Amino acid sequence: MSVRDLTLEDVAFWEVGKRLGYFGSILAIVLISMFPVFWILISSLKPSGELFVFPIEYLPYTVSFENGISIVQQYPLTLENYETALAQRPVGQYLLNSLIVASGTAVLDVALGALAGYSLSRLNFRYKLPVLLLILFTALLPFISRLIPLYKLAIDLGGTPVGGFLGLNTYLGLILPYAAFQLPFAVWIFQAYFKELPDSLEEAGLMDGLSRIGVLFRIILPVSMPAMATAAIIVFIYAWNEFLFALTFMTEDSKRTITVGIALFGNQFSTPWGTITAAVFLSLIPLLLFMFFFQQKIVEGMTSGVGKA
Amino acid sequence: MADSIANVQDTIARPGEEGIRARLRRYRELRLTEEELATVLLTPVLLFLLGLSFYPILDTVWASLHTGYVIELPGQQRAFVGLENYRQILLPIGETRFWNAFGVSMFYTFVSVPAELVFGLGLALLLQKEFTYKYVAQAAILFPWALPTVINAKVWAWMLHPDYGVISDILVRLGLLAEPYAFLSKPDIALYTMTGITIWKTTSFMALILLAGLSSIPDQLYEAARIDGASRWRQFRDITLPLLKPTLLVALIFRTLPAFQAFGLPFGLTGGGPGEATATLVLYAQQAAYNNPGPTNGGFATGSAAATLITLIALVIALVYVTTLYEPEVR
Repeated sequence: MSVRDLTLEDVAFWEVGKRLGYFGSILAIVLISMFPVFWILISSLKPSGELFVFPIEYLPYTVSFENGISIVQQYPLTLENYETALAQRPVGQYLLNSLIVASGTAVLDVALGALAGYSLSRLNFRYKLPVLLLILFTALLPFISRLIPLYKLAIDLGGTPVGGFLGLNTYLGLILPYAAFQLPFAVWIFQAYFKELPDSLEEAGLMDGLSRIGVLFRIILPVSMPAMATAAIIVFIYAWNEFLFALTFMTEDSKRTITVGIALFGNQFSTPWGTITAAVFLSLIPLLLFMFFFQQKIVEGMTSGVGKA
Repeated sequence: MADSIANVQDTIARPGEEGIRARLRRYRELRLTEEELATVLLTPVLLFLLGLSFYPILDTVWASLHTGYVIELPGQQRAFVGLENYRQILLPIGETRFWNAFGVSMFYTFVSVPAELVFGLGLALLLQKEFTYKYVAQAAILFPWALPTVINAKVWAWMLHPDYGVISDILVRLGLLAEPYAFLSKPDIALYTMTGITIWKTTSFMALILLAGLSSIPDQLYEAARIDGASRWRQFRDITLPLLKPTLLVALIFRTLPAFQAFGLPFGLTGGGPGEATATLVLYAQQAAYNNPGPTNGGFATGSAAATLITLIALVIALVYVTTLYEPEVR
């Protein structure tokens, strides 16, 4: 077909096709991304007999066209997997532990990151670049290379008076290493944000007779709430997801975080998939809510400094 | 910062030119110079990193040069053994677990990261367009990235169940398989599958970083190129790629180092099996340290030596990226 043969309708069809193709591919990617969530939910609601059949029944109900249209139940939905999961393991406690550790890490990193980020972006002092590079360098170091010494330290501290809150099976015992490992990212987010603030903010404060500390606490920090939220969310997700240190440091079941709790479900002889899928789905609920509420902030945090550096 | 007010304040309070009493009064009133304030703000941060990042690394290196005990009993002394732990890892008499893990990690990292880069770029180009409810789509697409690795491993272990896996079921229904396939039971296939899972999980992360980089490239450059008659490919090669370099550096480092440290995925998906087919370096080091206190050396010595080697390789990778992609004069 040459260009001259194209009618307006052809162009319209082409446009519609393009749009369909575009939204079709977006929809396909969304489905591929979310399918496991759907699958975990379906599996967790199946009675145990239905879990181990092949070919698989996907939906609990289907529409049948024999003798007119009717809805046919394929299998009954049940909450028994959830009851078993909650009865066997303290899943609620795991979630609470994760929440405490992740929040503690986020608070600590926001505090330290804001102060360091402010100094590194808006103050003049000697050794500024080396200090920034030193902080960022720690982001390159593998976690495993810090595991054994910190584990030994936690064991040693366990016998001392501070062991009650710094040893193994303590929240701070995880929060402090997590905060140290994520600090470079927090510092980076803050210094990228502070760099964009106009100089006039500080000038106005100094002119009004505030000290530099006054400027920091009364002007800079209050306007940096967006950066604080971004850094807190990024650090929170990291701490919520961490596994290697949580596995090593939390040896008591009541102190385990959700990642460790779920990873250690079952034993070497059997894997109770029904209860595991129920526990997994419980752990996904807070994450799903988090993603849908904070998606914008998460993207900001991941991409802060990108394209500007 | 070149603001005159700050300079005025700094000349009032320049250290060295004032008496000790004036300086103390200044401190009491919390009037600090920039340098003093930076010291106050950065000292806790640096002490924190010194204690929890630099000290542990040095201790790991130190421990790797000694015999080690998982828990030191009274009377046990660590003895200096030089590079003996490294010799046992790198030149073992029997099984070569380290080199196997090295191969697994290298394959896993350097197949998944380029694949994520290609798919991520495609996805970024798709997401450049604005549409209603884009944030919902974006949240859904980003979801796999936010999923905890080890939970993700359990999810896929179930979906890839050798007899009742939904992936098998879909492939059977599509006519691609005759019967359920045990993806995680055959050494080669298990490693490919694990690599595929990580590509599924982190492509969206790559896409969103690249999207931020793409949107920072000014549209006028493309307009000018179009007026000059440059093809789409020329525009991509001569405008997009060079200007995307700093973003690529960030994206590659942010993906390569975590991929190289994969632990939760093999732990939850296969436990490193079948055999050692999916045992990554960090899984190997963790098992050497905690599951496997050898007869002469405690596991911590072997684990520390393995951790030191992992650190060295990670730093080499970072160095290669920075030297090939970092261009301070670009902007």
